[in-house]
Amino acid sequence: MSLLEVKGLTTVVSGYTILNNLDFSVEENELRVLLGPNGAGKTTLIAMITGQFKPTSGKIYFDGQDITGKSPDAIFRAGVSRKFQVPNMYETLSVYDNVLISLRGDRKVMNNIFRGTTSEEKDRVWEILEFVDLTDRANDPADTMSHGERQWLEIAMLVASRPKLMLLDEPTTGMTEEGKYRTADLIQRIAARHTVLLVEHDMHLVRRIARRVTVMHQGHVLAEGPLAEVVNDETVKAVYLGKSGPQ
Amino acid sequence: MPDRAHSRHVRRSRLIPIWALLLGAFIVAAIGSVPYYAGNDSYVLLLLGKFLCFAIFALSIDLIWGFAGILSLGQAVYFGMGAYFVALSLKINYAMEHPTRYGSKFPDFMEWNGLKELPGFMTPLISTPVAVICALIIPTLLAFIFGVITFKRQIYGVYCAVITLAEALILQEFIIEYQAYLGGFNGITDYGNFVGAPFLWLILAISVAFFILARLITHSRIGTVLKAIRDNDVRAEFMGYNVANYRIFVFCVSAFMAATAGAMYAAWVGIVSFLDAGPLLSVEGVIWTAVGGRATLIGPFLGAFLVRGLEFVLSGSWFANYWQFFMGVLFIAVVLWIPDGLVGTIANWLRRRRRGSIAQIRAEEDRIAHDQQRDWEPAGAAKSGEEVV
Repeated sequence: MSLLEVKGLTTVVSGYTILNNLDFSVEENELRVLLGPNGAGKTTLIAMITGQFKPTSGKIYFDGQDITGKSPDAIFRAGVSRKFQVPNMYETLSVYDNVLISLRGDRKVMNNIFRGTTSEEKDRVWEILEFVDLTDRANDPADTMSHGERQWLEIAMLVASRPKLMLLDEPTTGMTEEGKYRTADLIQRIAARHTVLLVEHDMHLVRRIARRVTVMHQGHVLAEGPLAEVVNDETVKAVYLGKSGPQ
Repeated sequence: MPDRAHSRHVRRSRLIPIWALLLGAFIVAAIGSVPYYAGNDSYVLLLLGKFLCFAIFALSIDLIWGFAGILSLGQAVYFGMGAYFVALSLKINYAMEHPTRYGSKFPDFMEWNGLKELPGFMTPLISTPVAVICALIIPTLLAFIFGVITFKRQIYGVYCAVITLAEALILQEFIIEYQAYLGGFNGITDYGNFVGAPFLWLILAISVAFFILARLITHSRIGTVLKAIRDNDVRAEFMGYNVANYRIFVFCVSAFMAATAGAMYAAWVGIVSFLDAGPLLSVEGVIWTAVGGRATLIGPFLGAFLVRGLEFVLSGSWFANYWQFFMGVLFIAVVLWIPDGLVGTIANWLRRRRRGSIAQIRAEEDRIAHDQQRDWEPAGAAKSGEEVV
C-alpha cells in the first residue's frame, strides 16, 4: 500500500466543485511534484490531506490508517507535516525556539509543564539550523527575517518535526534566483531521507529536482509520470503549459 | 565565510536573574516590615494587602493575555467567586458568635430578606477548610468548563473577550438577584477581617509563590508553546499541538490565581460586593496589566500598585469624580504610546542600548551579506559531508 492514498476525493464549496473525484497516491521515499494552473486545486488537496478542511466525499489513507476528517494536530502526529504557501511561523519567538518546539516529541500539555530542553534536543536544533544555514540568526525573533529566510526557517521546522510525509506548498515564492537554487538543493537533500510532496510553479526549479510529477487540472489528475513524458503530453500542453510553454 | 561552528549560543534570560533576586528580596522585606513601622492596623497596611491581592489578580490576567493571547474581560468572575466563598464562610461563622438583634444565629442580610435559617446548601461553608477549598477549586472548575466550551470550539480572540465579559455581567446580575443568599447590592459586610502582620505575610508569600510559578511556566517548554500559540495558532495546530488543551490549561491556572487573590482579598478587607465580581474590576485588571507591561509578569505588580496608588492619592480631591474617565484615557494613552507598558518599554530601551536596535543589526548584516555575495556558489552550495536530514 502507498504511504498516502487519496480515493475519490470530492470537495464542493458553495456550489463550486474544487476537487472532482480525485484519485492520487504517493509512494514511500518518493519526491513528487504537483503541478497545475492556478485554481487547479493543489492547495485545496493539501488542505484536505492535513485536515484543514473536510472533504464532501472520498477517503484519505495515510500509512495504512484512515485520516479523513481528523484534526490537523492528529494528522501531524500521524506523520504529515505541512509548509504553508505563505511562510507561517511564530513571529516573536527566536529562530532557535521556532525549531525547538517543532522537534518531534511529546505534544501533551501535562508532559510539557516545567519541561526543559535535553542536550540531544539542543544539538538537534543546531544541526538543523546549520543545515538551512540560519545559525547566525538563531537568537533573532522570526519577524526580523527576510522572506527567503522565513521560507528556510519553515523548512527547518518541518525537518525538525521528522515527518513521514512532508508537504511543501510553493516553498520558493518570493525568493531570489540564488535563493531558489539553494532551496532546490535543500529539497533534494531532504528528499534523500523523506517522502516529499512539492507544489511548485517555477519550471526551472521543477526541471532541476523533479523525478515524477502529477499535473492537476480543474480538481482532478490530468497526467502523471516522469517529467519529460508529462511535459510532452498533448493535453497537458493544451491546458497547463498553454501558449508560452516551458522556457 | 566566517567560521560558525563556535557560535552555538542561545540567549535566554535566567529564571530569576541575580539583580532581580536581590531587588525582589529587598521589596519583599520592605513590604513585610510595614506592620512594624506603620502599625498593625493602619490604613497603609490595609491598602498594601489590598494592592497585593489586586496585583496577583493582574498577574493572572498577564499569564493568559500576555503569554497566551487570551484577552479575558471577565477575569473578576474567578476573583469574585473566590472572594464570595470566603466572605460567606466568615460571615456565617461571625453570625454564629454574634447573634443579630432578633437573636438569630445566621447572617443578618439573610434574615432581612426573609430567610428563617441558614440555607442547607450553605452549611458546609461553616467549616473554614471546606470554604477555602471551594473558593479555590470551584472557580478553577468553572474556568475548565468555560475553556472546554469556548476553546474546543475554536472560539478565540474578540469573541472570547465578549463571552468572558458576558460571563462577568451574568455573575454580577446573579449576585444582585439572589440578595437573600449573596447580599445583593449591599455586598457582604461586618464579618471582621484579618488585617495584621501574619496575614500580610501570607499574602506576600503567595504573591511571591505565584510570581515564581508564573515564571516557571513561562520559562519551561509549555511557556514557549503558549507563546507560539499566541503568535500563530494555525502553525502550532499543524505542528501537532492541541491548541485548545494548552489554552484550557493556562486559563485554569490563571483562574486559580485569581480565585486565590479573591479569597485572600475577602478575608483581608472584610467586605465584598458585586463590583468585585463584575466587568469593571475585570477591565481595571486589564488596564493595570497594560500599564505595567504585558508579558512581563512583574509589570502587573507595578501597574496595580501605580494605578491603584494614584487612585488613592487623588481620591480626596475633586479629581475623584472623574477617576473612571481618567482610567479610560490612561488606557488609550498606554495603548497608543507605550504598547509594551512601563516594564516592557524600559526593557526594550535597555536591550536596544546593549545591542543596538533590530533595524541597526539588520542593516549591518545586510551589508555583510552583500559583501559576501561574491562567494556565493549556486548549485550544490551546501556544505558536503554532513547529512542532517
